[in-house]
Amino acid sequence: MNIHPTTAGMTLAGILFVLGLISILIRRNMIFMLLSVEIMLNAAGLAFIVASSHWAQPDGQVMFMFILSMAAAEVSVGLALILQLYHQLKSLDSDEASRMRG
Amino acid sequence: MTFDDLLSLGPLFNICGGAVIAMLLVAIWRNHRLVYYFTLLVYILALASVVPVAKLLPHIIAPLVVVDMFALFNSGAIVGSGLIIVLLSYNYFEEREERKEEYYLLLLLATAGALVLVISRHFMSLFLGLEMLSISLYGLIAYLRARQRSDEAGIKYLILAALSSAFLLFGMALVYGFTGHMDFPGIGAYLQQAGSVPLPVVAGFGLMLIGIGFKLGIVPFHMWAPDIYEGAPLPVAAFVATISKGGVLVVLIRFFQDVNGTQYTMLWWILAITAVASMFVGNWLALTQQNIKRMLAYSSIAHLGYLLVAFLAGKQSGLEAIAFYLVAYFPTSIGAFGVLIVMSSSVQDAETAEDYRGLFWRYPWVALAFTVMLLSLAGIPLTAGFIGKFYIVLAGADGNHWFLLLMLVINSVIGLYYYIRIVAMMFRTTETPQRTFIKPALPLAGNITLGLVVLLLVGLGVYPSAMMQLIQQMMTLIR
Repeated sequence: MNIHPTTAGMTLAGILFVLGLISILIRRNMIFMLLSVEIMLNAAGLAFIVASSHWAQPDGQVMFMFILSMAAAEVSVGLALILQLYHQLKSLDSDEASRMRG
Repeated sequence: MTFDDLLSLGPLFNICGGAVIAMLLVAIWRNHRLVYYFTLLVYILALASVVPVAKLLPHIIAPLVVVDMFALFNSGAIVGSGLIIVLLSYNYFEEREERKEEYYLLLLLATAGALVLVISRHFMSLFLGLEMLSISLYGLIAYLRARQRSDEAGIKYLILAALSSAFLLFGMALVYGFTGHMDFPGIGAYLQQAGSVPLPVVAGFGLMLIGIGFKLGIVPFHMWAPDIYEGAPLPVAAFVATISKGGVLVVLIRFFQDVNGTQYTMLWWILAITAVASMFVGNWLALTQQNIKRMLAYSSIAHLGYLLVAFLAGKQSGLEAIAFYLVAYFPTSIGAFGVLIVMSSSVQDAETAEDYRGLFWRYPWVALAFTVMLLSLAGIPLTAGFIGKFYIVLAGADGNHWFLLLMLVINSVIGLYYYIRIVAMMFRTTETPQRTFIKPALPLAGNITLGLVVLLLVGLGVYPSAMMQLIQQMMTLIR
């Protein structure tokens, strides 16, 4: 069976994206939730790279660099917040951290 | 880059440059008052730099941004709202937080993100603007470290915003992969040529809509809104309710115009259902709230629903209605949060409805100002909110969307109930003297700002034709 490389790449990206989505839905540890979001963001980045190689344009790769730097910024803020929350709760469980209701 | 390019991006450059200088200022000499006045100056300069741009419109800087009248008008609204928020912030942060100077830095960066959003015509600038806005907001929402709910709100917003960014990005990648274009007009041209929309592009649009829906806080992606509003500092909640949602809405409108989205009936119906659901869920949940911050959060979900009705009406009149509604909604919403700010003490937020019992007999002017804001949110005549709703109804009638209008009217009536309930609470005499109320800070700057906002709202409500003429003028310039 002969599969076009673009289709294969896009399918891989799609599988990664869904894996990340499933993992964020079932995980309760905040660090793992952050990791799952990273996986989803990188799946999108992979899809951009596949698309840009398909069209032989550099645009998708530029986009990937932006995604990479944005993800780094996000993780740094996220880890700082998780650290602060851990000091208060002594736990990383997201259900325990959720106190607002209504 | 020519001189005209630089000039047309004036407001953005002002805000970005201001953020850099503010950062250096904080590093050299940490002084709250100094940074506050400097930030005010930056916002005023940015507002002033909107004016000379009007001569060179529409100005396209290929491929990333377009500065047309719609963008410029919304830039002005964003910078103006930012100015009001800064004016209200000083006293709120003075007592609450040890290191308060970075707040202004983050506020400037978030405003810059919103300004990039309103001028973007390319996936890359859309993404950059959105992330500048979101990442600054993570810091802003969790700014008050001493408060427990603050970092909970911060981490919730962070995870959900990152998740929605991932959806948005994957959708963009799908659209780019099958059309080969990342700029909105290019995608529009491709779709027109292709005739039908290929399935992966439909999926891409769907994923992008999920991402945008999260940022706008429309049903069914609204769950984060009340928690974020409750946990965030009050000025930041005002920012999330207005500038952040306004910027995303503008980019959604521009994308739809460029790809001619309203011609796809399925997309139209999805958005119509979302709009109706937002109105009902927002108003319904607001009915039961005792916490005013949460009530405002749900009411902002409903207001986004009203805006979507105008958006779905399409055409010229729909755009005009959106522009007017944003101009009316921004100061109203910020003003309502402003009342909460001036009524809060230096340690505690005045956020429950009980805090406002008999307010009229204690602080009549604040109570009157709050009444005007609430009536404007409810859309009572003689306020800006009424005229905004009136134009939305006109736009809907223009497009013969009677079902949507019926829903809008029903929801306005539901909304009336919970706004009036708070007004009634304020005019009730205090029969329970044993209860001690929060001692409000009532800062002078805050009071004056509230007075100006009230004047603006009543002015727009009594004499809307000047603003409407400006809007109509700008719309004719687009063509």
